[in-house]
Amino acid sequence: MTSPHALSVAMLLADARLPSGGHAHSASLEPALLGGLPVAAVPAWLIGRATTVSLVEAGTAVVTARLLGGAAGTTTPAGAVPADTIPHATIPHATGPDGVRGPAGPASAVLDRVVDAWAARTPAPALRDAARLLGRGYLRLARTLWPDAPEVRAITAYDAVRGPLPRAVVLGAVAGATGLSAADAVRLTVYDDAQTAAAALLKLEPLDPLTPARWVLEACAAAEPQVPRVALCATPEDIPASGSPQTEGWAEAHALLSQRLFRA
Amino acid sequence: MPDTAPESTPESTPESLPGSRPAGRALRLGVAGPVGVGKSSLIATICRALGEELRIGVITNDIYTDEDARFLRSAGVLDPERIRAVETGACPHTAIRDDVTANLLAAEDLERDFDPLDLVVIESGGDNLTATFSPALVDAQIFVLDVAGGGDVARKGGPGIGRADLLVVNKTDLAPHVGVDVGRMVADAAAARENRAVVALSRRDEESVAELRSWVLGVLGRFRAGAHVAQDPGPMAPHFHADEDGGYVHSHDDAPAHDHAHAH
Repeated sequence: MTSPHALSVAMLLADARLPSGGHAHSASLEPALLGGLPVAAVPAWLIGRATTVSLVEAGTAVVTARLLGGAAGTTTPAGAVPADTIPHATIPHATGPDGVRGPAGPASAVLDRVVDAWAARTPAPALRDAARLLGRGYLRLARTLWPDAPEVRAITAYDAVRGPLPRAVVLGAVAGATGLSAADAVRLTVYDDAQTAAAALLKLEPLDPLTPARWVLEACAAAEPQVPRVALCATPEDIPASGSPQTEGWAEAHALLSQRLFRA
Repeated sequence: MPDTAPESTPESTPESLPGSRPAGRALRLGVAGPVGVGKSSLIATICRALGEELRIGVITNDIYTDEDARFLRSAGVLDPERIRAVETGACPHTAIRDDVTANLLAAEDLERDFDPLDLVVIESGGDNLTATFSPALVDAQIFVLDVAGGGDVARKGGPGIGRADLLVVNKTDLAPHVGVDVGRMVADAAAARENRAVVALSRRDEESVAELRSWVLGVLGRFRAGAHVAQDPGPMAPHFHADEDGGYVHSHDDAPAHDHAHAH
C-alpha cells in the first residue's frame, strides 16, 4: 500500500474536525480571557504564544521524533543541514518499553528525558494535565492509524507502563512514523495552537468569524523565522525554554473554576 | 452524603446477571435529551434504585458549568468521587457523537480508578432533539422527554425519540398541571418508536422507578451475556410520510437541503 504524503498527514492532524478530543480545548484562550486579557489583545497574545510556548511544544515534538529514530528531519528545510543529517537507526519491534531501543538508547529512557525537559518548561500542572489529556486523544488516533510504526509502538508501550504522554511527544512519534519533516512539525504545532484558540474565540466573543483567521496566519508568520532553529533541536536540552508565566497563572486559576466551556 | 453509597462487593452483583463483566468493562449507558427534562434527576433515580447492588460511576457533560456533576454529588446517591464532569467546548452533541474522545477517556479513568464497575452512566449536556450518542461511546442509551415540554413532542419523533434503546417520559406527576394526557403521550411515543421500550416515569411513583430499574438490569444482563448489540439511533431517523398513494419513507440519506435546528 502506498503511504500518504506527509503533508496530507499534517493537514489531517491540523483539522479541527479530527476526532481526537481537541474541540474541548481553547489553547489557553478561555483562561486568558477570564483572567482579564482584552479581546483586542488576542492577536498579540497569539503571536506571543507562537513565539514562546508553541516553540516549546514544537521542539519537544522534533526531539521526540529524532530520538525515537524516525524520519522527522530527514526532509531538510532549505538552508538547514546539520542535525537533519543525523543517522537514524530503526527501532526493532518489541513489546515492553524497555525492550525498545532507538539510536539514543531504550525508548522509555529517551521518552523520560524528553518528558522531563518538556515538563520543566511547562510549570503549570493544569497545562501539563491538559497536554496529557490531548496526548491520550492523539495516541488513540496514532494507535488506530499507524499501529505498526515503531515510534507508535514505543509510545504505546510507554503509556501502558508509565502513564500518559503529553501531546507534543505523541505528535513527535507520529511525525517520525509518517515522515513529517521537522520544520513542518514545528509549523503544524504553531498553527494548531493558534487555530485552536481562534476557534474557541468565536464561541467566547462575538466577532466576524473571518477576523481570527487573519490572526492565525499572522501568528504563523511571526513564528516562521524561528522554524529552522527549532527544527534543528536534537536533544532534550535543545528544546526552547521560552515560557509564558502569565499563561501558566491563568491556567491554574481556570482549572479551579466551576464555570467554563473549555478544558484548558 | 457518601454514606448512602456503600462500597459494593462482587457478591452484591445480582444473581440474575450472568458472569462478572465478560466484556471486561462496565456497561456504558448514555442519557440524552433536551435541557430541563430531568436527566440528572433520572440518573440520581437510577443510582438510588441500583446503588446497593451495582457499582456505578457517572460522567456529566455540562455546557457551561459542572452544575450537573455538583447536583448529583449533592444528591448523596453516589460517592462524589465517582461522578466526573467533562468539558465539551460548547458542543455537547460533538462530545457524544463526532468526537467522543473526552468521554471515552473519562470512562476509562473512572473504570480504572474504581475497578471493577458494573455501570457507567454518561449524561449528555442538554441539547436539542437531534443529539444522540455514538455507539463508539455507549452500549445503550436513554432519551428523556418530560410531560411539561408538551404532549406533542413524542409524536414529532427524531432519532433519540424514535430509536434510543429506551424513551423515558419524565415528570408524569406534573401531567395534570400542564394539561398533558400521559397515556396519549406514551402511546404516541410507542408509535413513533415502533414499540421500542417506553417508560412513563415519576421519581415519586415507585412502580415506574421499578420499571426503569428492571430495564437497566435487563440491558446489563444482555450486555454481560454478549447478547446486546449497541444500536445507533442515527443522526435523523427515517420516517414515514402518509399521502394518497400510501406514503413513503423519508430516509434523510440524501437531503442536504433539510434545515435541522442546531443549538450552536
